[in-house]
Order: sequence, then C-alpha cells, then structure tokens
Amino acid sequence: MGVTEVFTTFGDVYLRSVLSTWLMTAVCFAGGLALGILVTVLRVSPVKPLRVAGDVYVQLFRNIPTVSLLVIFVYALPYLGATLSYRTCLLACVILVVSSFASENFMSGINAIGVGQIEAARSIGLTFVQIVRLIVIPQSLRTTVLPMTNLLIATLLTTAMGSQVPLTPPELTGMVNYVNSRSVAGISAFIVSAICYAGTSVVLGWLGNKLDEKVRIVR
Amino acid sequence: MSANVSMRDALYEAPGPKTRRRVAIGTGISVVLLLGLIAFVIRQFYVNDQLNPRYWSFFARWTTWRFLLRGLAGTIRVAFTAGIIAMILGLLLMLGRISHNRPLSVACHVITDLFRSLPSLLLIYFFFLVIPKYGLRMPSFWMITVPVALAASGVLAEVFRAGVNAVPKGQSEAAMALGMTHGKITRKIVLPQALRIVVPSLVSQLVVVVKDTTVAYVVSYPDLMQNARVLISNYDALVSMYFVVALIYIAINYATNQFSIYLAHREGTSIMSRTTENPV
Repeated sequence: MGVTEVFTTFGDVYLRSVLSTWLMTAVCFAGGLALGILVTVLRVSPVKPLRVAGDVYVQLFRNIPTVSLLVIFVYALPYLGATLSYRTCLLACVILVVSSFASENFMSGINAIGVGQIEAARSIGLTFVQIVRLIVIPQSLRTTVLPMTNLLIATLLTTAMGSQVPLTPPELTGMVNYVNSRSVAGISAFIVSAICYAGTSVVLGWLGNKLDEKVRIVR
Repeated sequence: MSANVSMRDALYEAPGPKTRRRVAIGTGISVVLLLGLIAFVIRQFYVNDQLNPRYWSFFARWTTWRFLLRGLAGTIRVAFTAGIIAMILGLLLMLGRISHNRPLSVACHVITDLFRSLPSLLLIYFFFLVIPKYGLRMPSFWMITVPVALAASGVLAEVFRAGVNAVPKGQSEAAMALGMTHGKITRKIVLPQALRIVVPSLVSQLVVVVKDTTVAYVVSYPDLMQNARVLISNYDALVSMYFVVALIYIAINYATNQFSIYLAHREGTSIMSRTTENPV
C-alpha cells in the first residue's frame, strides 16, 4: 500500500489524528508553562520549605520516564480512588513533565540576569515588585525563547506516549499501529506520521528562531 | 554582595524584623500545607487498603529484588549499547555535516534534524511493526536499542557540533596558516578539545536514553519496567510496584544528572542538551 492509498483510505482519520496531536501539544505546553511559572515562583520565594518543595517537584518530574508516570496515572490511581479518562491521564502526565523542564528554563533565564543588575536596581530605589516586573520577568522571558521552542518540540514528541493508551482518534504514533492493524500499509503509515512530526517541528523551530532574533538579548 | 550569591537570594534585601516575622509565618503555613499534602497521599493509600502488608512484604524477599535487578541490568545493557551506537553515529553525522563535501553535508544535516524531530516511540514502532513486514526479523534487544540509539544520535550530533564550535576559531586558523589540511585540523586540533568539552553533555544525554528504554515492553524486552509488570501479575500488587519502579528510575536519572553536573563543574564547561541547542 503506497502513501497515496494510505491517504485515500485513512485520510480523514489522519486529519483528525494530526489535529488531535497539535491540540494536545498546545494544551500540554500551555498547561506546562502555567504550572512551570507557579513552581518557579515557589522556587524563588523567600520561604525555605516552598523552595525545597519546588526543587523536589522539578527533580521528580524531570527524572521520571513519562511512561512510568503514565502507568501510575492510568493503572495505579484508580486503586487510590481517582479514576481519570485515558486522555486526561496523558495530558496530566505530559503537563507535569513539561512543567518541570519549563521551570528549569525559567530558572536559568533568571540566573542569566546577573546579580549586579538587581543591585543596581535596588540602588536607584526600585522596590521588590518593580525589580521583578521591570527587570527579572522581561529579561528571563526573552532569554528563554529558544529553550522554550525546544521544549515545545519536545512536548510534541512526548505526546507520542498517547500511543500507549487507547485514544480516539489515535495520535500520530498510534496511527502507525492503527493503520498496520487494519491493512498491510507497511512503511507508508510510518512515513506519513514521520512527515507530520518533522514538518511540525521544522515550522515550530523556524518560528522560535524568528521570535528569538527579535527579542534576543546580546550579552 | 559577592558574585557567588545565587539569584534566588540576590532578589531579596536583607530582611528587617517585620519581613523576618512574615517569612517565619509563611514558613509555618507552608510546612503545615506540605505536611497536609503528604498526609493526604498517605491517607489515600490507607483508606484504599494500599498500605496492607501483602502489597509491600514481597519487597523484603531477595527473589523480588533479584528479578528487578535482572530487569535493571537489561535496562542498563540497552542504554549503554544505544548510547555507544548513538555516540558513534552522532559523531559521524556531525563530521559529515561540517565537511566541505556539499552533498554529504546536506544529507547529514537532514538526517540529524529528522532523527531529532521524531519521537523515539515512532522509531520503535518502525522497527517493531514495519520492518518485520518486509521479512527482516530482529531480536527484541535490537528492536529497542536501535531506535533509541537513532533518536539519540540526532541530538548528540548537535551536541558534538556545539563542542566543535566551542573550540576557538583562531586555533584552526593558526593551523591553516601552518599548512595543515582541513581533515588534519579536525583530527588533531578541533576534535580532541571538542570531545573533552562534550563529555558532561554525553553523560546527561544518558538520562534521555534511559527514559526512552522504558517502553521496551512494547517489543517485550525484559527491562526494569517489563520485569516489574511480570511481578505485578505474580504478586497482584500493582500500586506499590509501579511506585517503587518509578522511584528507582528517578534515583538512577537523578544520580546521572548530578554526575554530569559534577563533571561540567570540574571541567568548567556547560551541559548541552536538546534544550540548549538550536531548534530543528
């Protein structure tokens, strides 16, 4: 079965599959960023236990293999009184993992600013809120554009974990399984999925580079 | 303030008595909240009877750990083999990319970016579902090792390239002035230094490789996760086993990460990973 036949037979499923992959990537990235910001706030707060909790959170979720987290959500949580749908489990897992990496990116963005700038800001009388709002946040956002673009692409690749649970429509990696169990598509299904992943990554990477050129801080 | 002060602390002025009291109150409240969270988790385990000794007692048996360790040995075997293949392939891809042979350079560039932009699971399905349809049967070890290695090789090619770029340009210019050829400069001047620079990054990439091996159960290769699944069906203890296995993976990856940070610190280099390099 050639690539064109795969399209004529499974075209509509593929379309829904691509859209679903993109949607999951967007949701997970947005959720991961939001949670990552929250964790970063904990990590730079002056309250010691919150800092430690934030650090532990990041170490846990950046070191756990996503599939290990996924099996806990899908198979173990029902025993602990929380049964979630497959899609919710997948989204939650990817968001937790992405948030820990997002927080790491934010932290290195903050660390790149330099103590001297904060001291200078304080010496001209800026308050803490002003320092964070005018100096820390804008600069750390600008330096994290490229790392965050990479994280967005990594999020896209991590949604492939969705192939390990039944989803309708299956996402792009699960499609290879889906097509192969219904026909003798062989390599064609793989090629179509690979093109979708690579194409999306190239476009996202290009956009990230463009944005980075605009906002980059030359140090 | 010295330059060694971390940004975390530099953000705040030396606290006065009022702030110190507020921080103390915040510390108290957050400790209570965090303990409450932990207590809630333990309570969920308790009320759902997951603290029952029958779910945990088999961890006191040596046979359990022997079986898990055998799985872990499988994980390590796959991870190291894949790591070595990825290193060789990544180095070759990078050398091809920086070579002056235009077609070779473009081909290596495309292959590098392709491997970087595909999920390892898709590559695993390629070797598990697609390849056998063409009559090529591979042992399960290679069905997991090869795709994991391919996925890592793209990232490593970029890491090597970053290492090469980190070698000061003046050195290769000086070598060129002495009449050395491009190949000789790469071999004698650039590579030895570049390889030294990337060692911490190679170690930290092992974490990604170990994570990628966790789906070895797809091809039924007996790694840590697969052996844990066998134990789960034997002992009928799913929750405890999945949590213990997750902690083992976290411990391994944490240790590997800390080791790479230590190496980077000692060598005075930084760790390059998927996050720090150019997007595809």
